[in-house]
Amino acid sequence: MLRAEQVSAGYGRVQVLWDVDLSVGDNEIVALVGPNGAGKTTLLRALSGMVEIRSGTVDFRGESLRGRSIEEIVGLGISHVPEGRRLFAGLTVRDNLRLGGWRSRNTDIGRVVELFPQLGDRLNQVAGTLSGGEQQMCAIARGLMSRPRLMMIDELSLGLAPVLVDEIISRLPDIASSGTSILLVEQDVDAALTVAGRGYVLETGHVVLSGPAAELLADPRVQESYLGMG
Amino acid sequence: MSAPILQTQDLGRRFGGLRAVADVSFAVPEGQVLGIIGPNGAGKSTLINLITGHVKPSGGRVLIDGRDMTGAPPWAVAQAGVARTFQIVKPFRGMSVRENVAIGILYRRHGVNVMSHALRAADEVLEEVGIADLGDRPPGELPVADARRLELAKALALRPRLLLLDEVMAGLRHSEIEPSLQLIRTLRERGITIIVVEHVMKAIVAVSDRILVLHQGQVLTSGAPREVLTDRRVIEAYLGQRYAQRRGETPDAPG
Amino acid sequence: MATSTQAPRQAVTPTSRRDQARRALPWLLGLVALLGALGLQSQLYSGQERTVTTIFMFVAMAEAWNLIGGFAGYASFGQVVFFGLGGYFTAVAMSQWHLTFWVSLVLSGIVGALFATVIGIPLLRLRGHYFAIATLGVAEGMREVVINLPGLTGGGAGITVPTVGRDATTPYLGNDGFYLLFLALAALSVLIAGLVSRSKFGYGLRAIHQDEDAAAAMGINTTRLKVLTFALSGFIVGLVGSSYAFQQVTIFPERLFDVDITVLMVIMVVIGGSGTVLGPLLGAVVLQFVSEFLRQHFINLHIFILGAIIIVAVLLLPQGAVNYLREARRTGEYSLLANVRRYRL
Repeated sequence: MLRAEQVSAGYGRVQVLWDVDLSVGDNEIVALVGPNGAGKTTLLRALSGMVEIRSGTVDFRGESLRGRSIEEIVGLGISHVPEGRRLFAGLTVRDNLRLGGWRSRNTDIGRVVELFPQLGDRLNQVAGTLSGGEQQMCAIARGLMSRPRLMMIDELSLGLAPVLVDEIISRLPDIASSGTSILLVEQDVDAALTVAGRGYVLETGHVVLSGPAAELLADPRVQESYLGMG
Repeated sequence: MSAPILQTQDLGRRFGGLRAVADVSFAVPEGQVLGIIGPNGAGKSTLINLITGHVKPSGGRVLIDGRDMTGAPPWAVAQAGVARTFQIVKPFRGMSVRENVAIGILYRRHGVNVMSHALRAADEVLEEVGIADLGDRPPGELPVADARRLELAKALALRPRLLLLDEVMAGLRHSEIEPSLQLIRTLRERGITIIVVEHVMKAIVAVSDRILVLHQGQVLTSGAPREVLTDRRVIEAYLGQRYAQRRGETPDAPG
Repeated sequence: MATSTQAPRQAVTPTSRRDQARRALPWLLGLVALLGALGLQSQLYSGQERTVTTIFMFVAMAEAWNLIGGFAGYASFGQVVFFGLGGYFTAVAMSQWHLTFWVSLVLSGIVGALFATVIGIPLLRLRGHYFAIATLGVAEGMREVVINLPGLTGGGAGITVPTVGRDATTPYLGNDGFYLLFLALAALSVLIAGLVSRSKFGYGLRAIHQDEDAAAAMGINTTRLKVLTFALSGFIVGLVGSSYAFQQVTIFPERLFDVDITVLMVIMVVIGGSGTVLGPLLGAVVLQFVSEFLRQHFINLHIFILGAIIIVAVLLLPQGAVNYLREARRTGEYSLLANVRRYRL
């Protein structure tokens, strides 16, 4: 469904990504891990149109993503849940969700509330007052409102207790099997490689490892890429 | 035995409810190269800013050469012989590369007062870092590797005894990393104490005598590079608790 | 991938005759301009003389504003407060304390500098827009203070400097005298700007303007430099205000603390080219000429047209004329359209 080939991107004169190959299939959960500064967030931003792709190709369901505006890419069916959630803190949960569905004219929040019942109890609560875990759920739910074919989640576990991380991650397979593939950038390597089917390890802008998630989990080279030694 | 060139005692800084840095105590003896690592948000940049005076501490002390410089303004710290580079380079636009470096020569302790002398001395510093032929250019035009060298040149213009390098390897190609490491080794041979904050692990391992690990604003551990990077707590901090458990790593390294 | 190649060590050439000549050139030109202005005086009749005198006044103030606003990058929108303080101090000193004008002049400058130092220490901690608004507030506030101290300042009714009779401590300078006085102030202001521009002090200011954090990290005591510059600026504007009071004989708070004066200063610097020595000079001269010309030929619409011209000038040359010319000469690109695009308007 998504195929990125030899993608290079960066900010101004600083190149961050070098010839990255990555793909996500239908109903799949793909994990993207790697040390800080590797370019994981940059890759997501390149795919959603926030960062210019300097070379390479990105094909999404037959359409090229290069050079498209962010709105166009959202319109094609890609949703980006950014690092730090970036909810509209002054608005209620319900309004955040409705804004998520604004472009696709989807006002049916029932489906996402089914997925995250805790949100159902808090629809009128101001988003900024939610707990970290609830905010992350809200952010993902908001991302789902545009009925995307691919949802990219950046650092889901940021600031969350492992129990909550588990709870939220446990919803991801349902989301994936109902037609929204997931590309998950994650610091908690165990959680990410447990829920995902496949994974990529990014280090200083290059893909250094890739393959079935279970294999990566057992591969000592993953640790090496983080700490320089296994 | 002389005082360590830099020492912090229970250094801390809060931003509202967030403790960016807390209870950080460490000492750097003169001539050492200390690497500081830590996952994102660990407080590395805040720590540097606390030492250089760009951010005032909420608690604790900073001692430079045994003198209490806690909360001192950045220029006082610079004049005490401590220079730094910025993670996002901050060249002075509207001035040439040479003039950028000349500022440091003018305003360091016992600085020069005549512009032409400063410009001449600036050329020498540019030569040291390897960008002698870029003196007349506007800094905005420089590619990343050269912009980093300019940043370093500006710091060296201060004739520092302690140099703080904040993520100088970010954005460099593999081929550009080794010359940068070589530069750091050369500076170290001249007797400059160096603190390197880095994400690029291979670089920091290659050049540090000792590594300090920050996690959530506090010191997790410190020691020789090999020990630190195989320490279970460090693995946990970077890859998550369960990953560390799963890997069944070596038992916690001492201290 | 190679980084920049190591060039063979080139001996830095000792200051050649050509370099020396190049550095002396501006001073030479300045001297020529000064002599020209002196010679011009005899050619003008009194109306024109007064116009040119006003130009000199604004040159002096624009250059002074440029020190804090252009070099250091702290745009003061309350600059007129030094003008007013200088003027009122002189008026009070001459009418109530019977000091001569020349003593009052110097003291007015000092008062300007002192006041700048006192408000500078707190206000210069603010950056950008906040500093602009705070200084504006100070100026407006000072005007109200002056209005509300009628015993000292004559309040809203104004104050008159004695210029005839026994009370007059200094004979009135007359058109010719004021022409020379303001010319001297303009020359002083340009001279100071020129000296600052090339000095260690000036480079420090520019560094502060470009990146205050980096400047501080390089040993520059930013507080000290900023306050000093503000004080210098206040000193010059104080001198100008003092001279203006003497020239006008009767002064009122609305005029001496008129925010328009600050705004004019700023426009002149911005259009001429902030951060340069020539820019404010050029801006002051051109703007005053254009303003006079319009006033004489388009009595009803001159303000409107002047405003339109200013808007167009800022749109096409946001960095000011002198900076635009320098950049254009360096890059070879003279196109105004490219310039607008470069500044993303």
